Amino acid sequence: MSREPYLLPNGRVLRYSYRERLVHWLAGVSYVYLLLTGLAFWSPWLFWIAVVLGGATISRELHPWFGLAFVIAVVMMDRMWGKQMKETPADKEWWAAVPHYVRNEDEQMPSADRFNPGQKLLFWGFFWNGLLLLLTGLILWFPQHIPWSLRFLRYLAVIVHPVCALLTIGLFIIHVYMGTVIERGAFGSVIRGDVSRAWANRHHHTWYQQLLRDSEARK
Amino acid sequence: MSQVSNEIRRISGHAGSVPGEGFSRDYDVCKLIDTTTCIGCKACEVACLEWNGYSFSETTFDNSYQTMPETSWNYWNLIKFNEHEREDGTMQLLMRKDQCMHCEEPGCLAACPADGAIVQYANGIVDFQQDHCIGCGYCITGCPFNIPKFSPTARKVFKCTLCNDRVTQGLEPACIKSCPTGCLHFGSKTDMKELAENRAAQLREHSGFANAGVYDPAGVGGTHVIYVLHDATNPEAYGGLPKNPTIPVTVRLWKTPLKWLGNLAIIGGLVGVFAHYLRFGPKIVEEDEKDKQGVRQ
Amino acid sequence: MTNGWIDIKNTDMMLIMGGNPAENHPCGFKWAIEAKRNRNAKMIVVDPRFTRTASTADLFLQIRAGADIAFLGGMINYAIANDRIAKDYLLNYTNAAFVVKEGFKLPEDGLYSGFDPAAHTYDKSTWNYEEGGDLTGKAVAPEAPHKPAPPPAPLKPGQAPPPPPALPPNVAHDLALQHPRCVFQLLKKQYSRYTPEMVERITGIPKDQFLKAADLFTSIRKNGDMKKAATIIYAVGWTQHTYGTQIIRTAAMLQLLMGNVGRSGGGVNALRGHSNIQGATDMAGIFDNLPGYLKVPTPADADLAAYLKRITPTPSKPGQWDSFNYWSNTPKFVTSLLKALYGDAATKQNNFAFDYLPKVDRNYSWTQIWDNMYRGSVKGIFAFGMNGVMIGPDTKKNIDALKKAEWLVVGEIYPDETSEFWRAPGTSTDEMKSIQTTVYRLPCAGFAEKDGSMTNSARWLQWKNAALPPPGDARLDQDIIAQIFLRVRDLYKKEGGKFPDPILNLTWPYTDPQHPALADIAKEINGKALADLTDPATQQVTKTGQQLPGFAWLKDDGTTSCGNWIYCGSWTEAGAQIQRRGTEDPSGLGIYPNWAWSWPANRRVLYNRASCDLDGKPWDPQRRQVWWSEAAQKWVGNDVPDFKADSHPKDHLGPFIMNPEGVGRLFVPLGGLADGPFPEHYEPFESPIKNPLHPNQSNNPVVKKLTTPADKFGTPEQGFTVVCTTYRLTEQYHYWTKNNPMNVQLIPEAFVEIPVELADDLGIRGAEKIKVTSARGTYIAKAFVTRRIKPMTIDGKKVYQIGLPIHQGFRGIAEDADRNARTPANLLSPTVIDPNAFTPEYKGFLVKVEKA
Repeated sequence: MSREPYLLPNGRVLRYSYRERLVHWLAGVSYVYLLLTGLAFWSPWLFWIAVVLGGATISRELHPWFGLAFVIAVVMMDRMWGKQMKETPADKEWWAAVPHYVRNEDEQMPSADRFNPGQKLLFWGFFWNGLLLLLTGLILWFPQHIPWSLRFLRYLAVIVHPVCALLTIGLFIIHVYMGTVIERGAFGSVIRGDVSRAWANRHHHTWYQQLLRDSEARK
Repeated sequence: MSQVSNEIRRISGHAGSVPGEGFSRDYDVCKLIDTTTCIGCKACEVACLEWNGYSFSETTFDNSYQTMPETSWNYWNLIKFNEHEREDGTMQLLMRKDQCMHCEEPGCLAACPADGAIVQYANGIVDFQQDHCIGCGYCITGCPFNIPKFSPTARKVFKCTLCNDRVTQGLEPACIKSCPTGCLHFGSKTDMKELAENRAAQLREHSGFANAGVYDPAGVGGTHVIYVLHDATNPEAYGGLPKNPTIPVTVRLWKTPLKWLGNLAIIGGLVGVFAHYLRFGPKIVEEDEKDKQGVRQ
Repeated sequence: MTNGWIDIKNTDMMLIMGGNPAENHPCGFKWAIEAKRNRNAKMIVVDPRFTRTASTADLFLQIRAGADIAFLGGMINYAIANDRIAKDYLLNYTNAAFVVKEGFKLPEDGLYSGFDPAAHTYDKSTWNYEEGGDLTGKAVAPEAPHKPAPPPAPLKPGQAPPPPPALPPNVAHDLALQHPRCVFQLLKKQYSRYTPEMVERITGIPKDQFLKAADLFTSIRKNGDMKKAATIIYAVGWTQHTYGTQIIRTAAMLQLLMGNVGRSGGGVNALRGHSNIQGATDMAGIFDNLPGYLKVPTPADADLAAYLKRITPTPSKPGQWDSFNYWSNTPKFVTSLLKALYGDAATKQNNFAFDYLPKVDRNYSWTQIWDNMYRGSVKGIFAFGMNGVMIGPDTKKNIDALKKAEWLVVGEIYPDETSEFWRAPGTSTDEMKSIQTTVYRLPCAGFAEKDGSMTNSARWLQWKNAALPPPGDARLDQDIIAQIFLRVRDLYKKEGGKFPDPILNLTWPYTDPQHPALADIAKEINGKALADLTDPATQQVTKTGQQLPGFAWLKDDGTTSCGNWIYCGSWTEAGAQIQRRGTEDPSGLGIYPNWAWSWPANRRVLYNRASCDLDGKPWDPQRRQVWWSEAAQKWVGNDVPDFKADSHPKDHLGPFIMNPEGVGRLFVPLGGLADGPFPEHYEPFESPIKNPLHPNQSNNPVVKKLTTPADKFGTPEQGFTVVCTTYRLTEQYHYWTKNNPMNVQLIPEAFVEIPVELADDLGIRGAEKIKVTSARGTYIAKAFVTRRIKPMTIDGKKVYQIGLPIHQGFRGIAEDADRNARTPANLLSPTVIDPNAFTPEYKGFLVKVEKA
């Protein structure tokens, strides 16, 4: 075999494939649109956002479509990463040590696999909230088609949708913060796809070691 | 639709103060519907259509005199018929004019996220401003009377305007004008309430309706459309008039407590991460730092 | 109406029966609501269905369609038995005290005295008052049992037939109301058979419910109280029966008994069904009247004098009473009419052209005309705003009649079923090709495109202006008639013909003969002086050519012309009274004396002298209509007195000035009615039961069946067990609003209202298609399963009633879009008519109901 899939010739490690990055940005861009238009409908103080994004009516029209795009992205992510995101026994240790993580004492953290438990939390957070947002979103998209006798569905949707949205906003704030500011190299991993070996070794030690073993095995 | 001469009291989805807040030069208007003298002639249905310039549409017979099952985006005013047997076995044909109740605390306005799409005037009229409407249909959920109706062509919501355009010119609403028996009255809330209570008392004393009363539900702060009912303990019999209408609890939860909590959470989150950065800074992998100075492999 | 629309607001008690004013007169009904709201007036509604009127009633009773006389007779019985009657009124303002001739027999077996079974008519000579004087307090010999009078001896050759029976000028009377043959005792005896139990058997109204209604209605006369007034309001639920006229009679009698006629808030009030139907009947749009309710001449009237003698009544009353007998002025009315018709061609020498008037030899009522067309003797018909195919009983027969006609002219604003009769559903293309009738369709003007006056139920003539001109080729009715007449006259001028004189000599004094102005015609109807006239009492002068101030000016010597005496005063020299719009109502009784003009002489409540006691003081000081003024020595008031103004109360001039007796008729003598001086309950022609009062004479004996093969009747034995009635809805107006999107939106499809129980029996669900079949045809529509028509027990039998609105046909918006089965309702109705007014029995016939 000639090609090394993950250990790149330039001495870096391939973190995310092209497909993975596309899907991530599909999710990201659609989510940002959803966030902005959602905030406009959430607060009168931010209503102007919908106006500048092409008009309030068009924002209302497009919000659900972007929602569908987001859901598609989430489904694709589940197909790509679902197995790797499953909870493992090692996760408990990681969570126990998370104060170190917060204080950037990463050397104190147990080894993480391709996705650390924090990332798994993010993934499942978006997955389940996304599902609820989809279901309640469908009701809110066509409220006139929910008959009076089933109005409790609309009443539920009206509260569950913003609650889930707020939860995803919390996750999003942390995710963007970490991905841009905190974890140097993380942003590049989702644009160009590669990270340094040191980065891989530090933050996803288990995964990196497995890559090395696999590479050896291939020789 | 005209905002020109009415003083505004509340605006949906609006940031900041409202011009008419705390000040009113208009008296509260009120439409009184005396169901005990309604003869179900539908003059009011037609007057509303004609005044508002809607065309007639095809309908289907559905075992009732009722023109259609519910009001519609282009049919704002509908007599609902119910064949009702009283406890003593006597028959009643209850006929109730169904339209927007112009609540003092409108659920539609509370639920609406669009700035200025729903306006409550100081005189109590709640009016949809379609040029600001974004067609989200939250008002449909906010209304305990199932009134706002979505137009699939205009993609906006419509309902009775209490003939705001007529009222601002000193005229009574079109339905009032057309009613042949004078079962519909229009005037100030105080006057109409008095008229209604007197009529209810008359029914109790002279017509054998011991439970006659006035429907002016406190759950929405009272309404600017009130009914005299033969039996005020059973509004449901009148084409499903809700006994105790309120703005749905989830709408209220969303608009008040959740709004506060959520805003706090978002701002808190943003402040939190900024504070975190100030305190802890980014994660640094030393080898990478070294590499930065060296040559990339 | 004896009273008026607005006057209804003055009532204390309403009996609404044979009518559904909330649905069919919603604007007029507001006055009933006003009475409830402002006076706590009570409303009793009696109807085969719980209608939208019933929804506002204080008491609703469901009645079998057609059982009205039984109910009202029961009410009369109750009122008399419980002394809830107006004694002074009864004694002095009605013929209660008049003694009826010996030989008169009440219809315990269903027949009055004098019935000829072969001819289906009565010899009414026993239906008369006894000649005589005051019999009060005189002992009466016991009555011999009734023996039918021997048939009259055949005439000897050369012997003139005996003169027809006449009312005696001096009527024997018993002011103690005890004489066994006085009207009051006969009345009591007649309705003693109408016990609450009998009422229940016939009407299906449970006894306790009936007694509740009787007690409530008559409660206004408890303890002799005369202050309150009750009104009876009805419409075609009463007229559309083979005894319809008699139903109304029973109500009139009840109102006389209770002293409600002439009273504000009282009266006997017919709700007319079209905006100008009252005008049509006033102007004699019927074969047996001339304008102003003058009787038509018959071939037996050899000349004008004989005619006038026959139709001009002479007073007939107790000697010490006085009777105005205003119909004694008939010669003035007739002569003035003839002058209006024939102008200078009508002279003293030629009997004022009496020979020009057609002599009416038999029944030319609507059903008869179409029967004649069916038999082939009527060759052609003009149908002006009259959708014959839809309105007549037995639609199929009427369509077949048109197929046999040579020509048909339809004046309409829409293509209607009559103008499209040849392609009625069920007509094959071959048959269409074989129909030889030439159909002319003349587009006419709609109501908003015409001016003219309309006379409403309250007898108010109100002028209206045209809002816009007729579109396209549409012409005004008067133009069409004028242009046809002028062409026909020309043809007669050129070609001569059989007796063209009436046509050639008909006055046509209009500025533009081809387009006569209705204002000109209205003036012509009011009439004018043809010579200088002076009123001897006031010395007022009306010069030649001037409009007459009122009918008191009419003369029988040819110096006045008047198209309709009851409209005389409507367009005077002071101007068009019918255009007035004065909104003052100083009395608050809704009289509005300066708004438009009512006949007669702008009197709003007829017989209003009866609103006062014998001394001329109003029974109710709160509702003063007219009263006697000692100071002015005349009758004055808020309303125009319907009376001889200067007749002192002590002269005992009767308030019912149009009757020869001067008083109201509880008993209608002689030829007043075809089927009896008192109403008697008869069953509808198709009935589920035999008449419990006299099973061997179930139906009105005077009603004649039509006998073509098309005239079919059904019986319960043939499976027609359901009683059917037909009616109209608020949302549609007869047969033309099915062309209007607004009405079609409100009531889009034909339906049949059937009881829930019947639907359950037949497995029918709401809005499911069903068919209703009578002996004559089948009607298909959607079922309206309702709780507003309950099953009934009629004479022990369980009987269902159903009802269907009449509005859909086979041409209209929904019909053209195939959204209806296209069956007219009158496919079901029978061709039997009332013998007095000739109205068909559209309500209360038998059908069967099945799934379609």
